[in-house]
Amino acid sequence: MIYMIKMSSEELLKIDQKFLFKQSRFQTNKTTKKKLVWKGLKQIISSEKALPWPDDAVHYSSINAPPSFKPPEKFSDLSGLPAPYTDPQTRLRFANKDEYATIVDLPMDITAGYLALRGATSIVG
Amino acid sequence: MELLKFKDTKCIPDVVHPYTSSLKNNSVPIVIDNGSYMARVGWATKAEPLLLYKNLIAKPRKERSKKDTFEIPQTPQLQVGNDIINIEAVRFQLKTQFDRNVVTHFEAQEHLFDYAFYHLGIDTDNSVNHPIVLTEAFLNPNTSRQLMSELLFECYAVPGITYGVDSLFSYHFSQANPQPNALLINLGYQTCHVIPVLNNKTVFENTRRLNIGGWNIVTFLHRILQLKYPAHAAAITLSRAEELLHSICAIAVDYREELKKWIDPVYYESNIKKIQLPYTSVANSSALTLEQQKERKKELARRLTEINARKREERLAEDQEKLRQLLEVQEIIEFGADQEEIERALGDCQAKNVLDLQKNILNLNMKIEKTKQKIIAANSVEEVDEPPVKQSKYSKMVFENENALQSFLENVKRMVDPYATFQRQDILNKKLARKQRKQDIFKRRTAAGQERMRIISQLARKEKGNDDFGLRDEDWDIYKTISKDGGDSDSEAENEKLLEFEEIIRTHEPSEMDEHTNPGETHQLHVGIERYRAPELIFKPYMAGCSEAGLSEVIGYVLSLFTPDEQSKLAKNVVLVGGLANLSGLRQRILVDLISIRPFKSEVNVTVMDNCSLSAWHGAKQFAQTDNFKKYLFTKKHFDEYGPEYFKIHVASNPYYPTPKDSCVEIDV
Repeated sequence: MIYMIKMSSEELLKIDQKFLFKQSRFQTNKTTKKKLVWKGLKQIISSEKALPWPDDAVHYSSINAPPSFKPPEKFSDLSGLPAPYTDPQTRLRFANKDEYATIVDLPMDITAGYLALRGATSIVG
Repeated sequence: MELLKFKDTKCIPDVVHPYTSSLKNNSVPIVIDNGSYMARVGWATKAEPLLLYKNLIAKPRKERSKKDTFEIPQTPQLQVGNDIINIEAVRFQLKTQFDRNVVTHFEAQEHLFDYAFYHLGIDTDNSVNHPIVLTEAFLNPNTSRQLMSELLFECYAVPGITYGVDSLFSYHFSQANPQPNALLINLGYQTCHVIPVLNNKTVFENTRRLNIGGWNIVTFLHRILQLKYPAHAAAITLSRAEELLHSICAIAVDYREELKKWIDPVYYESNIKKIQLPYTSVANSSALTLEQQKERKKELARRLTEINARKREERLAEDQEKLRQLLEVQEIIEFGADQEEIERALGDCQAKNVLDLQKNILNLNMKIEKTKQKIIAANSVEEVDEPPVKQSKYSKMVFENENALQSFLENVKRMVDPYATFQRQDILNKKLARKQRKQDIFKRRTAAGQERMRIISQLARKEKGNDDFGLRDEDWDIYKTISKDGGDSDSEAENEKLLEFEEIIRTHEPSEMDEHTNPGETHQLHVGIERYRAPELIFKPYMAGCSEAGLSEVIGYVLSLFTPDEQSKLAKNVVLVGGLANLSGLRQRILVDLISIRPFKSEVNVTVMDNCSLSAWHGAKQFAQTDNFKKYLFTKKHFDEYGPEYFKIHVASNPYYPTPKDSCVEIDV
């Protein structure tokens, strides 16, 4: 037991000393600030948006692609073929009667998985 | 049909490259293409990057249960970049410094810089004495760039940094004679950008970013395959999906046409890709085990008889010893010992009186005789003939010939069974019908469901006077029809009969029930339309529930923001860059889509950048070797003077908008 602890502390030292090129000051600083919470991209964007920027400034958030203006085509969830039908029970789209026979026997988790994949989990949609 | 196999390539840990004195003393710039999928790191004087690694770290969580036993925390086994041999083994511990295509997690970034500088061989004390050329996201937020500068200047003490956008480096510097006007299409791991460049100037305000990339395609493919093969969900990993994307996926030039082709079963059969998943074949040796079982049973029986024989012999010896003692006592009595001695002897052999003693002797004699007889009997029947093998009663049926057997089986399977009133197919049909009814009953808008509702409402109706419900026994049957089972449930007798039939078929035609004789066949993935369906996500983000426009639509939108003259200039030179750009069929697809939105007979050209996934590094390297490079370097002096978010702009960089001062600029990390 004691041996193992010794080993690990030696390894710890080794790892710390591995990167000679780093400023020791920066590292010690880091150990004191134990819990660092990094802002996510969304937070960064929203705090950026709140600032009074000049009119000509372009931002990360201002170059998002526009929404699609074309009606989405319907494809079968199972096969990817063009799907003229929707099963009212599971809300899955299907292309032919063979696929429907499969859909009827699909367990709940699979049908839910297909819907989640298409992003159609909302009840109203 | 060729059977494909997963390569499951593993990462090879990087070696520590030599840090030569020419590198050390000339402060050669280090070029880092910090992509959200991969980092490419190398010296500006070298032709190729030295290090290529995925921007990932695997950091195991501290085990809470071990906290009590160990005072000193064990060093976490941190794996960085190519140290991660098998990504799937540490999938849940993976971390990246990226949030989409922007670096936000600088602790991870620090580990990855450590990894890069260490493997470049840098061994100077307390500093990395080389200027850094670093790529960043298009319109990288100031916060991210500021933290990056802080990290590089304060932790590594670099002399200077130049930031640039990967695709712009790639376009302006990695090719010999870039045209002044171009429409760059950068297809990345997290995002796709459509970047117009006019007169060598990036038009930032008209650039658009599609938040779909290689990562989305890989996860989409991963998920559809998992849902298609739920049994192999664990074997279908993200790395394997990624491998499939690189090996067999392609962009359909006309997706609708491609789908139409796949409807044809002949086309499907001849174009499907079969991929073998690894599997361990289960030793299918029921015949052998039967033989073994028999052998084992015999062995057991033999051992049992042995034990019994030994026990008997022991008992015999014991009894004989006892008898000898008793006889001795009897002798003593007969020879006329005194009363006291007799009493003691009797007490020794637990007898009350002489009569009792005699009775005991008689009993013992009989017992010995019996044991002896048993031993003799056991020895004589040494070869115990084993009990007849229990056979299923159907294999006992004897048929005159093969034909009779066949017809019997047919009968069992079909309706004309002479022996029973229930037939297998019949029962199966009945079961199916019942299941259907049961489903229908709980659906609205079905005849069965409405009928049930009608009956219930009628039963609930209260009518005074003429309520004669229950007078006849048949009245009560109505509750059966509205019960959950819908009248009749699968009866016990039917189920039994079905089992019996299945047993018959199994004994005579073992192949009927389990057709897959080759276990590998059940471990195959059949990838058909999915090959085109997954990459199609770039053009149809709505397939994954994303409301953004597809790539072609975005290109059209970006072009519409310019004057007709500028539009034709851009359309003449559409350039694809980024890791996904060499997907087969992509160039053709974009060309076709562009022609369809451009005016008749206007010029449209689409080219794919050479070596598209490394061209950003090469471009940045070329940039670092230009004479003006020093001019564009953002040094420690600037950092101290102009603040941490300042940087120098150049042809391939982002624009610099200083963060407005009047509000809270405090960046709390």
